[in-house]
Amino acid sequence: MIYDLIIIGGGPAGIAAGVYAARKKLKTLLIAESFGGQSVIATQINNFIGFKSISGIELKNVLESHLRDQKGIEIKEGGKISKIEKSAGGFLIFIGEAMPDGRQEYFESKTLLIALGSGHKRLNVSGEKEFEGKGVFYCSICDAPLMSGKTVAVVGGGNSGLYAVLDLIPYAEKIYVLEYSDVFRADPIYIDKAKESGKVEFIAMAKILEITGDRFVSNIKYEDRNSGEIKELKIGGVFVAIGYAPNSGLVNGLVEINQNGKIIIDHQTQKTSLEGVWAAGDITDVLYGQINIAIGDAVKAVLNINDYLKKK
Amino acid sequence: MVKIYSTQTCPYCVMAKDYFKQKNVAYEEFDVSTNEKAREEMLNKSHQMGVPVIDINGTIIVGFNRTEIDNSLKS
Repeated sequence: MIYDLIIIGGGPAGIAAGVYAARKKLKTLLIAESFGGQSVIATQINNFIGFKSISGIELKNVLESHLRDQKGIEIKEGGKISKIEKSAGGFLIFIGEAMPDGRQEYFESKTLLIALGSGHKRLNVSGEKEFEGKGVFYCSICDAPLMSGKTVAVVGGGNSGLYAVLDLIPYAEKIYVLEYSDVFRADPIYIDKAKESGKVEFIAMAKILEITGDRFVSNIKYEDRNSGEIKELKIGGVFVAIGYAPNSGLVNGLVEINQNGKIIIDHQTQKTSLEGVWAAGDITDVLYGQINIAIGDAVKAVLNINDYLKKK
Repeated sequence: MVKIYSTQTCPYCVMAKDYFKQKNVAYEEFDVSTNEKAREEMLNKSHQMGVPVIDINGTIIVGFNRTEIDNSLKS
């Protein structure tokens, strides 16, 4: 059996595509490791149109239930895609690892829509991996409550860094915000809130060198890029919030990607460099990573895929 | 016996709990931000302090990993 369309990804783009594909009666399979995408860990989203304020997990539930309400769409949840190959009829999507006898679960489709989104960036300094979960964290809404009475470092002075700061303020005793450049790019409203707490110290021009500790994290070392001096802070936790990188490892080599790892698309149709493959959302070279935009772009992609299948 | 070590705000904890509800698996929940004894227990079991930590009959899973949960429930 060959599907008309396989959608890869369960974030806002993948879900929006699923709803539209079902309404166009395309024979569709949506494959997602989980639903909601990276915004699941947002404490509060205030710019998703139609909701004055909604948490990441509530948004996930709203979107997922809209998708599951559609008739005809098939959903494969929890499967990790290991490989994508071209076939005579279109594309083969392989799930998980092959069995000892060589058999492997796979699906075939005429077209693909890649909506794998992006994930948090790593610092790539010594100690980061070793202490992951042992004081190095990426999900502030999850792990901030464990920082009661502690001194904490947040790395990143953009909005994601300041969200982490705001999640930490009720618990931590003191928070250092370390930023590589000379400016804190976060929205002023968040910077002001952080300042009002009296707990936050902003350190610009800081290049993180190393995270150290014993059983758990105890120190973070950085270079003051103004003076060249090496400095060290005693901390009980480090929250890394330096932005996002596209989850394009799986499709690297299949479609063209730019130097930032983002899939290069035609912005009118969402087509990638390979015929039969579209992409939408934060994995693409779209200029702005926004949930509202990802949804609109996914809709554009499905309408274009529908036109393409009709002409075939 | 399934135990979940969580914080009140953690979305992956909510997803894990929803998953167990959907599968009709009973679980006991411990809030490690307020329950110090549970926090120690979690540290000893998982050797780290990120949540959620899930204990399925002695198998320790860090994070919400559906495949690992399914495998542990089967065995």
